Amino acid sequence: MRAKSRHSTSEKRNNFSSWLLSLPAMLWLLCFFLIPYLIVIIYSFLTPDIYDVKFEFSLDAYRQVFTGGYLRPFFLSFKLAIYTTLCCLLLGFPVAYYIARAKEKLKNTLLIFIIIPFWTNLIIRIFSWRIFLAYGGVLNGFLMNMGLISQPLEILRTDLAVILVMVYVYLPYMILPLYSVLEKLDFTLLNAAMDLGANEVKAFFRITLPLAVEGIFAGTLLVFIPALGAYLIPQLVGNQRSLYVGQVITYKIKNIPRNWPMASALSLTLLLLVALMLLFMFFLYKRRLARRRIS
Amino acid sequence: MEDIVLKNVSKDFGAFTAVDEVNLTIKSGELFSFLGPSGCGKTTLLRMIAGFETPTQGTIQLGNEDITNLPPYKREVNTIFQNYSLFPHMTLFDNVAFGLRIKKTPKAEIKDRVQETLSLVKMDDQANKYPDQISGGQKQRIAIARALINKPRVLLLDEPLAALDLKLRQHMLIELMNIHDAVGITFIYVTHDQGEAMSISDRLAVMNLGKIVQEGPPDDIYERPSSIFSAYFIGETNFISGEVKAVHEDYLEMSCDDGAGHSFELDSCFQAAPEIGSRVTFSLRPEKIAISRNKPRHQEDINMIKGQIEDILYLGSHTQYIVRVGKLKFRVFSQHKRVYFDDKALDWEEKVWLFWHDSDTWMIESDALEMLTEAQMAESGQFSRALKRRGT
Repeated sequence: MRAKSRHSTSEKRNNFSSWLLSLPAMLWLLCFFLIPYLIVIIYSFLTPDIYDVKFEFSLDAYRQVFTGGYLRPFFLSFKLAIYTTLCCLLLGFPVAYYIARAKEKLKNTLLIFIIIPFWTNLIIRIFSWRIFLAYGGVLNGFLMNMGLISQPLEILRTDLAVILVMVYVYLPYMILPLYSVLEKLDFTLLNAAMDLGANEVKAFFRITLPLAVEGIFAGTLLVFIPALGAYLIPQLVGNQRSLYVGQVITYKIKNIPRNWPMASALSLTLLLLVALMLLFMFFLYKRRLARRRIS
Repeated sequence: MEDIVLKNVSKDFGAFTAVDEVNLTIKSGELFSFLGPSGCGKTTLLRMIAGFETPTQGTIQLGNEDITNLPPYKREVNTIFQNYSLFPHMTLFDNVAFGLRIKKTPKAEIKDRVQETLSLVKMDDQANKYPDQISGGQKQRIAIARALINKPRVLLLDEPLAALDLKLRQHMLIELMNIHDAVGITFIYVTHDQGEAMSISDRLAVMNLGKIVQEGPPDDIYERPSSIFSAYFIGETNFISGEVKAVHEDYLEMSCDDGAGHSFELDSCFQAAPEIGSRVTFSLRPEKIAISRNKPRHQEDINMIKGQIEDILYLGSHTQYIVRVGKLKFRVFSQHKRVYFDDKALDWEEKVWLFWHDSDTWMIESDALEMLTEAQMAESGQFSRALKRRGT
């Protein structure tokens, strides 16, 4: 209460100028984020036409989301996102841990290595994977020459290829937030835990992991959400037997007759699921904070 | 009974020898300190006892058991870390309960023992707080509780008070001594603060460049330093060097050069009789010297020399005088006692007499010179001059 009365006018002036400064970004978001979303929401309640929509209210699109065989793409997308996130977490944690404990000079070099892939366009990187994994590609050629296989393996255009490339693309998004929490972790805490009788494994689960939770949260969000809407990678290295939500949405717009309401409804359903997940994680995080504030 | 026995323990980090062939026995129930400047190997020694480092050579025994290669979690030893290292994601209760939970102690027992230990360190009313909600002194208490609850045979304390301010440090020091008396186990205390080490320890080891320079009770080390390093590192002192003229049963006579062409005679006590004609170094603590403008009445066992005051530093509890004798400088501590009401305060440039009892001039054994680094020598002007003269 006391604090409130102390900063009165200057606080208000500050608030006003920071509001003014954030105005351009606000307008930008309003025009190119909020309004388009409103359009998507409106479209999802309209009736499809061959190229466009008819302005007639309809709930058909939503009905079809749940009855028209779209559960499989959702299921596949969730499976892909979960696998990708888990693989990134399991592969990324040791890497982040190692970088965080490395000496300053090595640390910076390693961080640059993590960031280097971003310097190359995503599509080029995915095409490289295609060349690498293809039937007559680099990997198969190498394995044949080594005499390990007699016939080329069908890797490209499989679900495995999709996960492989997904993990490759999203791994840095997991490593970086993990690194940033592990870097702040006081490693003498692990000494303390071992001093108190915990072996390496117990010290990891009781000290390192709980203290890295925020990084795990952040990394999971950064990987899981884009992975859920993945389009490009399944399209380029996957097959037509397993279609993911992102692909289905694109086809609804690309293929004629177009179905804008269906694409919109699918997008919004995906958005809703992500929002629910975010809320849930936010709730978990809040509860953690609240537990800390009881005393 | 002995608790910790170090036999020939060395630790190398690459080409650097942090700990160099240390032999030491620490008795059960003792409060033992390692005292030395940073980089002297005291913390490495402690980390080897805790199990965080493995000795390059030598063995460490806990009681009769060789623990040299045991991992930290299998040793009946607990550590208080320099920055306490409390687990930030756990309440104080959970911090203290950590060791017991790892050992899968029954819940009811954990609760009782945590409460009991928290009340030992007077923190029982704050069990539900988190480490970032308490003060430095309180963190210290929790760190102590977290270690003691495991009933270790030996408690290791790595500069435990370094992060606290002066008043709190003095307070915690007394508290640590009380806790030591209450639990009765062996404490091994590492510090670079000679005041802390002197006041808290039953015995202490002065370390320098990876070696133990001297080992013994605090008063022994202060009054009878065995090397130039321990005289230099503990407290303040004056170093004087001179030539032995005569050796008597309980004292020796020597002649000292003041660097300006004059010499003066001193008597000193000694441990091992030096040869007549050899050059030796003496330590003379500044507070042992009396200073007066009047010549003292001559006594048999009093040393006295005449000098001139160069500097006066008022330090509250006492005044430090820098007194020039030829080219030598003597530091003299004088407390402000108004016993002699007729005494007028001494002034700059005043001619004064310095006098002290024979037995306060302490001869240092001569083989200890190599133990000092250049930087340590440079710290005291007269000290390095004394060393240079000795070298010739």
